[in-house]
Amino acid sequence: MNDKPKIGVFICKCGQKIDPFIDLSAMKVTVSKTDDVTCCEVLPYPCLEPGMTEIIKSIKEKEVNRLVVAGCESRLMLKKFEKRLESEGLKKGQIDVVNLRGHVAAVSDLSPKEKAEKGARLVNASIAEMRALHPSIQQNVHIEHPPMILGGGVASFTAAQELARKGIECYLSIPETDPDIILQQLYQKYLGERSNYPRLKKIIEDVLKNDRVTILPETEIVSLSGITGDYSAALTVPGELNRKRYQVGTIIACLDGELTAPGPEFGYDGKTVLCQTDLENIIYNAVIPSGQTVFWINDYETGQEEYARLSTRSAWTMSRHILENSKKSQVIILYNQKMSLPLTASERSLSRKLGIIWVPYDKAVQPVIQLGFVSFGGVNDHLEHEIPWDRIVLSPIRKIGGNSMQTAKILGIIHEESEFLGVHHAKVRPEMVGREESYLAGSARYSCDLNEALNQGKQAGKKNAEMYQKSAENTLFAPRVVCIVDTTKCVGCGQCQEICDCGGIGIAEGLGGGIPRVVDPMVCTGGGTCAAACPYQALTLQNNTNDQREARVGELAKQLKNNEFVAFACSWAGLPAADNAGNRGLNYNPDIHIIGIPCVGQIDPSVMARAFVDGAPGLLLVGCDPENCHHSFGVDHAWSRVNILKKLFTLCGFDRRRITMAHADLNHPEDFVKTVESFSKMLKALGPIEKTPDNQKKLESIYKLVKTNSRVRLLLSSGLRRPWEATYRGDQRYALEYDRSDFMDALKEELLKVRLEGIFREESRPFDLDEIISKVVDDQNRIINQLSELVAEGAIERTYKQGKPFYLSAN
Amino acid sequence: MITFNINDTEVQAEPGWTVLETARQYEIEIPTLCYHEAVSSSGACRLCMVELKDGSWSKLVASCIYPVAEGINVYTETERVKNVRRWVFEMLLAQCPASGEIKQLAAKHGVESTRFSIKDPDEECMVCGLCTRACEEIVGLSAISMVDRGVHKKIGAPFSRPTEVCVACGCCVTICPTGAMRSRIDAVRGIPKITLTPLAV
Repeated sequence: MNDKPKIGVFICKCGQKIDPFIDLSAMKVTVSKTDDVTCCEVLPYPCLEPGMTEIIKSIKEKEVNRLVVAGCESRLMLKKFEKRLESEGLKKGQIDVVNLRGHVAAVSDLSPKEKAEKGARLVNASIAEMRALHPSIQQNVHIEHPPMILGGGVASFTAAQELARKGIECYLSIPETDPDIILQQLYQKYLGERSNYPRLKKIIEDVLKNDRVTILPETEIVSLSGITGDYSAALTVPGELNRKRYQVGTIIACLDGELTAPGPEFGYDGKTVLCQTDLENIIYNAVIPSGQTVFWINDYETGQEEYARLSTRSAWTMSRHILENSKKSQVIILYNQKMSLPLTASERSLSRKLGIIWVPYDKAVQPVIQLGFVSFGGVNDHLEHEIPWDRIVLSPIRKIGGNSMQTAKILGIIHEESEFLGVHHAKVRPEMVGREESYLAGSARYSCDLNEALNQGKQAGKKNAEMYQKSAENTLFAPRVVCIVDTTKCVGCGQCQEICDCGGIGIAEGLGGGIPRVVDPMVCTGGGTCAAACPYQALTLQNNTNDQREARVGELAKQLKNNEFVAFACSWAGLPAADNAGNRGLNYNPDIHIIGIPCVGQIDPSVMARAFVDGAPGLLLVGCDPENCHHSFGVDHAWSRVNILKKLFTLCGFDRRRITMAHADLNHPEDFVKTVESFSKMLKALGPIEKTPDNQKKLESIYKLVKTNSRVRLLLSSGLRRPWEATYRGDQRYALEYDRSDFMDALKEELLKVRLEGIFREESRPFDLDEIISKVVDDQNRIINQLSELVAEGAIERTYKQGKPFYLSAN
Repeated sequence: MITFNINDTEVQAEPGWTVLETARQYEIEIPTLCYHEAVSSSGACRLCMVELKDGSWSKLVASCIYPVAEGINVYTETERVKNVRRWVFEMLLAQCPASGEIKQLAAKHGVESTRFSIKDPDEECMVCGLCTRACEEIVGLSAISMVDRGVHKKIGAPFSRPTEVCVACGCCVTICPTGAMRSRIDAVRGIPKITLTPLAV
């Protein structure tokens, strides 16, 4: 598989959509001459069965092991090629689709010959990337240890039951093992569910006596390390200070949210103005309250309107219980007119029979609780009405709760404290993540009723069982594009772990400094900003490496003429906007050469610099709108990286506008066209970078600096936005403060160092100070300091001739 | 290898190919709308109809889903085929009169008006289901699907609300042949929210 690359190129005519616009035979001639291209064909439709047959023939006969298709949108077509050709040995990553139709044919008025040249350039760049590819072996994931259910939520029991039913042994860590006590306390988490308790009790008892479930009573998780299939979980031991470690395959977190009483602004006093939780405790344990009970569904007023229906359901079951058991009680339910009643037809009829009064109130007027009366605005007459009360019952405030939050933090499924636990930050295609979700169940995820929570537990158990089954059958694979850590390079600085939004990076074992990080391939989404942030380049994104991208952008940049420039477009915003512009036949400046990438956050600063070293006059990066990035903060991270290049450009005397960020939306290709027009116009005014040896040396110094200088790379990555930060030091809003910090000095220092090293590397003769200053135009004192430092490091030697210092390379 | 005729020209195909695929391989143009190379074909729009002739007997089939067979005689531009195409275009012009793409394609085939009544002059969608197939087969999700049945059938997310299942990849917008998904995607993915965090004091 890692043999010498043999690249097959197939150019699509696409009916009448590509062929007449581009001189394909000329393009074929150009591309055929490129190294490693084993075959190059023009086909009517490579994507259809007849075309696929041709491709498979070339794989078999000419041993093609990399494929480039020049046709239409890779976002749509790539999957088909991957599916069809997988059995032929071409795996994801070994196939690339270049959008000839949407990025070349339909969008400019160039002649077919010129378009053929542009197309050939894009294809050659893709070939260069394919050449640099080292396809990884398909990573098989084995899960041998049993799963563990944590968190103590009520969903634990259905999860355990489901796992046991599928024949999988599991650990179950719960704080309490007496079913009656569990049920007794449940009203604090789930309201108005008494009718479901007998069923739940049966489930709990069933699980407790199941042989396949190992109960770990009165335990709590303390720490967790490792990756899917091989976790090490430390749990408390009841009555002891020691902790016990368990080897665990997967984790199911069952976390319940918390219900608390609203604040005094609603008049809550716990006696006559109650919360639904208080009332539930009273009516099921003591006497049925007589007199007039008024439920006020005040979720709209507490800012949790999405849960008004849940509160209404629990108010309804409680009122029903009151009226069925007491003749002397009346119940009124007061609700915001914005809500539609969540009752079925039979429930409505029962409600009428019982005499429950449902009163909607004007959404514009907030009800006010006064002594003995509650006033509200009438819906139809807009008149203020009053209802007398003996007891007011308010909706509870719903949130995660302390214990669940604690557990979530230990499990690493939470970055910031918020109202509820989200499932995943990244918004990507399912094939990009190995595990479907983080197996989180219960009302801490979002407030829900008991049934929903139990169902979530069951689903988590089911999905987990599927994973075990796949593992047993040897068919559980990690996605092709995930990060891997080179443990020989990793120093354990933890930058990657901090900026990772998917929670896929962890510590191998134990705590402390200098321990290499590990990536969980089943959790990693392949966002790749971690790889671009690593100060020591210990992280690589498999099948989509930095080297590949450098090769591609370099190859493209080498072929550019005049003001033609490179643009990176992310596959969630920039690329679809460009594709859609092509689809609609919008015209824009043909100087742009688009390279599609999964996320702009993957672009290492060295890739950006490489474009300029190889001759591009400008680089545009088109990402999502801020706060809308599919990999959470990729676009912010790209912004920081672009800015370090801008700073270096200024220091070297280049125009900093040559590298620019842009934002796009897939549904607004007309805005993308404006972006392209504006950037190409500006670049045209600037003209290409003059190709002098001095300029080239400066650009190479920038490239070397951002690629290999760990100090600059560490400073850069420590300034990147963290998932828990709403704003951060490198953010646009704090840019000034960041620039004024030591960062700029460090940058100047390191750049000068790289440039000085360059001088001594080039020629091994001694240089005197004046000559060095004339070569590196910079502050004299700074240069002398830097030279002394290099002498101290042993990189260069200082000699004196007639009292004048001379410097030369130590080698 | 299967040998048959398209427009009296002998063509060769492998078993499993469709008539449309073979025609495209031989660069014979057949108009399509609900067909896209990236997803499975469904034969919904009936624009790719071709005529199969056997002596005096003939029938019309949708070429995108009709498998090739030995010795069949396929005709793509007979009077009967053109007539069906005109009817389809007239119906499409009545179903989605607001779609510029449909108007353009219809005009190319000489249809510029419709004799059917137009129910909704702002409608762009022809309910071909290409977007739902793309969502399922390419993306691996089912964020959008056919809602309702029969003449009320339309494309949307469950309960016509923005759905969390949608990853906003835009495949449906790119694949849509009538441009209808452009105005629909915001109701599926949710309006992109731009929340600027307030400055820290």
